[in-house]
Amino acid sequence: MRALSEEGASVEKHTLIVTEKPDAAKRIAKALDSQGKPEKIEDDGVPYYIARRDRKIVVVPALGHLYTVMHERGKRNYYPVFNFKWAPRHVAERGAKEIRQWIKSFSELATNAERFVDACDYDLEGSLIGYSILKYACEGKENIAERMKYSTLTKAELEKAYDDPLPHLDLALIEAGKTRHEVDWLYGVNLSRALTLAAKRWSGKYATLSTGRVQGPTLKFLVSRESAIRCYVPTPYWNIKAEVEINGSAYEVEYENEEIGRRAEAEAVVEACKGRIGRVKKVDEREYRQNPPTPFDLSALQTQAYRFFGYTPRRTSGIAERLYLQALISYPRTSSQKLPPAINYKAILKGLKRERAYQRLASELLEKKELTPREGEKTDSAHPAIYPTGNLPEEKLSDPERKLWDLVVRRFMAVFGEKAIKQSVRVYIDVDGHGFYLRGRQIIEEGWMRFYGPYIRTEEVLLPPIEEGDSIKLKRVIREDKFTSPPPRYNPSSLLKKMEKAGIGTKATRADIIQTLYNRGYVTDERIVVTDLGFDVIDALQNYAPGVMSAKFTHDLEEKMERIQSNNEKRENVLLEAVDQLKPQLESFKEKERTIGEQLSKAIKRARLQERIVGNCPTCGTGKLMILFSRKTRKRFIGCTNYFRGLCETSFPLPQRGSAKPVRKECKACGWPLVFIHMRGRRPWMLCFNPDCPRREERRRRNEMQDLRQRSD
Amino acid sequence: MKCKICDKEAIETYCKLHEKAYEKIVERYNEWKKALDISWKEYLNEAAKNPYTGSWAKEVAEQLIKSGDR
Repeated sequence: MRALSEEGASVEKHTLIVTEKPDAAKRIAKALDSQGKPEKIEDDGVPYYIARRDRKIVVVPALGHLYTVMHERGKRNYYPVFNFKWAPRHVAERGAKEIRQWIKSFSELATNAERFVDACDYDLEGSLIGYSILKYACEGKENIAERMKYSTLTKAELEKAYDDPLPHLDLALIEAGKTRHEVDWLYGVNLSRALTLAAKRWSGKYATLSTGRVQGPTLKFLVSRESAIRCYVPTPYWNIKAEVEINGSAYEVEYENEEIGRRAEAEAVVEACKGRIGRVKKVDEREYRQNPPTPFDLSALQTQAYRFFGYTPRRTSGIAERLYLQALISYPRTSSQKLPPAINYKAILKGLKRERAYQRLASELLEKKELTPREGEKTDSAHPAIYPTGNLPEEKLSDPERKLWDLVVRRFMAVFGEKAIKQSVRVYIDVDGHGFYLRGRQIIEEGWMRFYGPYIRTEEVLLPPIEEGDSIKLKRVIREDKFTSPPPRYNPSSLLKKMEKAGIGTKATRADIIQTLYNRGYVTDERIVVTDLGFDVIDALQNYAPGVMSAKFTHDLEEKMERIQSNNEKRENVLLEAVDQLKPQLESFKEKERTIGEQLSKAIKRARLQERIVGNCPTCGTGKLMILFSRKTRKRFIGCTNYFRGLCETSFPLPQRGSAKPVRKECKACGWPLVFIHMRGRRPWMLCFNPDCPRREERRRRNEMQDLRQRSD
Repeated sequence: MKCKICDKEAIETYCKLHEKAYEKIVERYNEWKKALDISWKEYLNEAAKNPYTGSWAKEVAEQLIKSGDR
C-alpha cells in the first residue's frame, strides 16, 4: 500500500512497532526481518530499525517512560498539590532533554504508518510506556494498536507474537499502571515537598528529603528493627558442650536442654557428667524425601543471588534484565512460580545441551520419559517463572552475567529432578540421668541436588555403627557462657522479602526503593543501619502524618490497584481515596511545619557532620578525626574534633582538588581509616593519610608512574 | 526538659528513645538476678560492657552507673 508524500512521490506505508528500549528494538527487528539483517537508521541520536517481512516494519525504541505525571500548574515550592496531568518527561523533569527528540521521531514515523503494534514488555510499566507513546506521540493510535505478547526475546517467540498479536491493548493493565503512577506521584510529591520545605523554611538551606507511599513504611520497618537493636539488653544462658569417643574418633554431642537459664544448674550438670560413661538408650533412624525447589520468580532469584554472590536485589534485577535482552532468559519481572509446557521444556534442554557445562545434566533429563516441573503456588497472569531460553550467549558474558545465568539454568534443570533422599540419625545417650544427643546426617540419593550442584550447602555427618546398649565414654564436658542476641539487621535481600510479605511495592519497584533509602542518607551499610536522619524523618512523619506511614494502608491501596487490573475497581475511586487520606495528614503537617523543620534541619546538620567523620583519633584516643576546612587558608585537611576543646592538635593534609569522602574502611597495612579521593582525570583512589604507613613509599611511586603515563598519553 | 543523655526533648528523665532502652534495662534485671544472683549495680556493669547490649541501652546503663539512680 502506498500513499503520496508532500512532494507528490508515493511513500510506502509501514507497520510501526513501539518497543521499550533500544536493545529490545534491535532484537525484535532482527527476529522479524526475513533476512535477519534489519537496516539501522539514526535520526538525531534516536536509533530505529527497518525490517522487511510481509511488509515494511519500522521498529522504534523508547527510553523507558517518555511521559510522566506532573503538576498541572504552579511552582515547585508549595504543597498540597492534587492537580496533575500527563506530560512529556522533558517538560516535567530537569535533565531529560533528550526525550524531546525521541517523541519527535515517534511522531514523524507514525505519520506514514498504517498499522501500530505495541511490543513493550508485557507488564504494568511496559504497557503504560507503549500506551502513552501511541496516545500522545502518535496522536490517538492507542485504540487501533495491536499488542505483541511474549516472555522471551527469542526469534521463534517474537515471530509468533508478531504474527498472532492481541487485537488491542490491555486497557485494564494500563489503567492500573496509570493509577499507580498517579497515586505514587500524589504521595511522593506532597510528602517529599512537605519534608524538604519544612527543613528549608527553618534553616534557609536546601536539602532533598523524600518519602513516598512505599518508601515511608519501608523505612519504618528499618527504624523499628534499629530501635529494637539499640535498646537490646541480652540475658545470659548456658550450654553444655560435650564430646564422646567412638572407635577412637571424637564426635560432638548436644545436651538435652539446649539452654540452661541458671549458671549454678549448668555447673551441676558438668560436675555430674565429667569423665562418666554413658549408655546408648535409643537409636532413631529416619529417611525423608526432599522435593526439588520451585522455579525462580524475581524475588527468589534476588534472594539466592544475594546468598551465593552477594549481589543486591537491584543489581540482580539489572543483570537479569541484560540476560533477558540477550534472549538468554525469560522476562525476569515475574511473580510466577509456574512453568507451563508451552515453553517447550525439551527444546530448552536441547539448547542447553550444546553448552559443555550442562551437556551431561541436560542429556540426563532428556532421557526421562516425562518432564514434569515442580511448581510453586505463586502465579502471574502476564509471564511464567524465570527460565533459560535454551539460547547460548552470542558474546562473552561478564562474570556476574555468567554467574546469574548459571544459577537460572541450574535451577531450571533442578525443578525437573527427582526427590532427594536423606537420612538422619539421632542417638540418645544416657549419662547418669542426663541425656545427650549424637546426630548424624547423610544423603542417600542426590536426586535434584545433582542439577543444582554448586548451590547446595549441606554438610554430611557420618556416624559409625551404633547399637542400643553400647557404652560410650564422655571425653569432655564443658559449660559454655552464652548471651541472647539482638534481632538481626536487615540486609537488602531480607528487606525485599519483608516488603513482599507485607504486600508493599511491586516486584519492579522494591529494589529501587531500597536504593533510594541509601541515596537519601536514611540508611547506610550492607547490614542496614538507620542514620539519625532516617530516625528523624520517621519521627516527623509518625508524629504529624501517621496515616501515611501505615504499611496496612499501603497494602490495601496496593490490593485496590491490583483490582483495577482485573476490572474490579475504578481508577477514580482509588485516586479519591488517596487524596482523602493525604489531605488531613498534610494539613496537620503544615500546622507544625516550624517544629518539624527545626527537628529535620538539626538532623540534616548532624548527618552532614557524620558524613565527614573519618575515624577515631590515633593520638588522643577520645576525639574523632574529621574532614575540616581552615577559615584562614581555606584549605581542606583532616583534624581532631578535640582541637576545638584545646585538647588535641593532630592534623593531616589532604589533596586540595577533587572530592574527599571517608569510606569506613581501614588500611590493610597500618589499620588507619581510609579516605576516598576522586579527582577529574585521575583514577579514584583510597588514601591512607598515616605519614608512617609502611605502604606509603610504594603508593607514592605507583602514583608517580600513573601520572607520568597519563602525561605521556 | 532535656534528656539526661542526648539533647532531645525528655518525657521524664530521658527522651522517647532512651526511655525505651531504660524500660528494657529494668525489665531484664530479674532474668539476670535469677541467672547469676547479682545486684543491680553489678548487673548494670555487666550490661554496659556486654557486646550484645544495644547502643542506647549501653548509654542508659552508663548513665545509671554514674548517677547511682535506679
